[in-house]
Amino acid sequence: MQPQLQKSKTDQPNVVSQSDWLAARRELLAEEKEFTRRRDALSARRRELPWVKVEKNYVFDGPNGKESLSDLFRDKSQLIVYHFMLGPGWEQGCPGCSFLGDHFDGTLVHLNARDVAFSAVSRAPMPQIEAFKKRMGWQFKWVSSNSNDFNYDYHVSFTKDEMAKGKVNYNYGTRGFPSEEAPGLSVFYKDAAGQIFHTYSAYARGLDILLGAYNFLDLTPKGRDEVTLAQPMSWVRHHDRYENGYTVDQAATYQSPKLASDSCCSHELPT
Amino acid sequence: MQAKLQKTQVKSPKVVSQADWLVARKQLLTKEKEFTRQRDALNAERRALPWVKVEKQYVFDGSSGKLTLAQLFNGRSQLFIKHFMMGPGQKQQCVGCSLEVDHVEGILDHLENHDVSYAAVARAPIDEIEAVRKRMDWHFPWVSSYNNDFNYDFNVSFKPEHMTAGTAVYNYQQGNPGMEDLSGDSIFYKDDSGQIFHTYSTFGRGGEEFLGIYRFLDLMPKGRDENGPHHSLADWARPHNMYGKGGMVEATGRYHAPGCACAVHT
Repeated sequence: MQPQLQKSKTDQPNVVSQSDWLAARRELLAEEKEFTRRRDALSARRRELPWVKVEKNYVFDGPNGKESLSDLFRDKSQLIVYHFMLGPGWEQGCPGCSFLGDHFDGTLVHLNARDVAFSAVSRAPMPQIEAFKKRMGWQFKWVSSNSNDFNYDYHVSFTKDEMAKGKVNYNYGTRGFPSEEAPGLSVFYKDAAGQIFHTYSAYARGLDILLGAYNFLDLTPKGRDEVTLAQPMSWVRHHDRYENGYTVDQAATYQSPKLASDSCCSHELPT
Repeated sequence: MQAKLQKTQVKSPKVVSQADWLVARKQLLTKEKEFTRQRDALNAERRALPWVKVEKQYVFDGSSGKLTLAQLFNGRSQLFIKHFMMGPGQKQQCVGCSLEVDHVEGILDHLENHDVSYAAVARAPIDEIEAVRKRMDWHFPWVSSYNNDFNYDFNVSFKPEHMTAGTAVYNYQQGNPGMEDLSGDSIFYKDDSGQIFHTYSTFGRGGEEFLGIYRFLDLMPKGRDENGPHHSLADWARPHNMYGKGGMVEATGRYHAPGCACAVHT
């Protein structure tokens, strides 16, 4: 595993004295501080977005029966929904969403303390969600929108018609998309009277900020190390699929996970 | 606890039609895309920094014996060090560092398969570290720099005489940081011949890069909602096993469990 990774070379390093490094580092620090403040400003703008009242009564299938959108708030007034790409019949969740999913559990107790409830939502039926969640060892809340329009209304699932035309409404524009399911994150607010509002949604690279692992990689000499890959995230595996001769196919492009019924032995998932 | 949080009001929301919302959202999207690209550019500059060769041989205390800095790379060429604020004998756990490392366990598989090893380093002796690790159920590598100068050399611990004289350096500025141990993150590279280089360090708000929870909170109507007394995460963050159990946090981020009778409370 390691020898393959070692082949990726860093740029010719410029090795200098401690004092020369400090001069360069201080210059960069000024830019970093500017960047931190730009991020603060952008976050403030996000919170100034107007809201839209949610008029539909969405009912999801949860681990213990039906749950409304309102129920997902529990006793909190803010709700994060992660639109997890797991379509009906898929043998496993999307690797990119699973990578993102690995970030949730560690922070949930802290988010809950900040008046934030969290749930993943997928269009796959509940038993399929439960099986995959168990395989991945995740604890976060995850419900199914299989029997409602939630995924279509929030532009993370596309109809057969849209797919056939090759034009879907995603990330606030019309484009082709390689899968019937797409990733996204939506934020909702519930007021004291129980009214629910949609405040924010992000898609595509808008989700990049949620991949904390990228924040670590971005500071390392090799960075994300994806330049030679046909698809940026094609090095990512499900966390239980890195073992035994992990290699990266540089030419690999995005493939929707196979339908479980397509493989001859659906209980034995190919890597 | 929840009742108190609920009091925080969000800014009076402007409720609009779906069509009007989309217009506003698309304007914001343009700004967001601009920001994403600025971030890409800043990251490229970070990686263009020169490197400094590490000449000292650092030896740490690990849970099962001595480990050199080279050994912390664990077969990989890149090493991420979390400087965890915990001096010898310090009973009050830092809530900021604890929050930061709560983000790590879920992503270690991915980092380790992308040529990055991770380790936390604290100045407390290894026995004290192991006690905290056990209590918090953390599994990432965590070693002690109690017997070497690592923390002082990388400007996250300070000698009392330097603090008094105002000659200690934190976040690239000279002064008196006011505490013997502070937080930071450093990156090292090891080449094929075994030479180690220091490539990057960040301190202060630079550590927010590793607080993924802020990316979530920044999208919420209430935002970070840090309205005092400290106007930082010390207002609300607790060790993950202590929410709803009382205690208090100092401005420095040190958590005092309920019943703590140390000098701070007198």
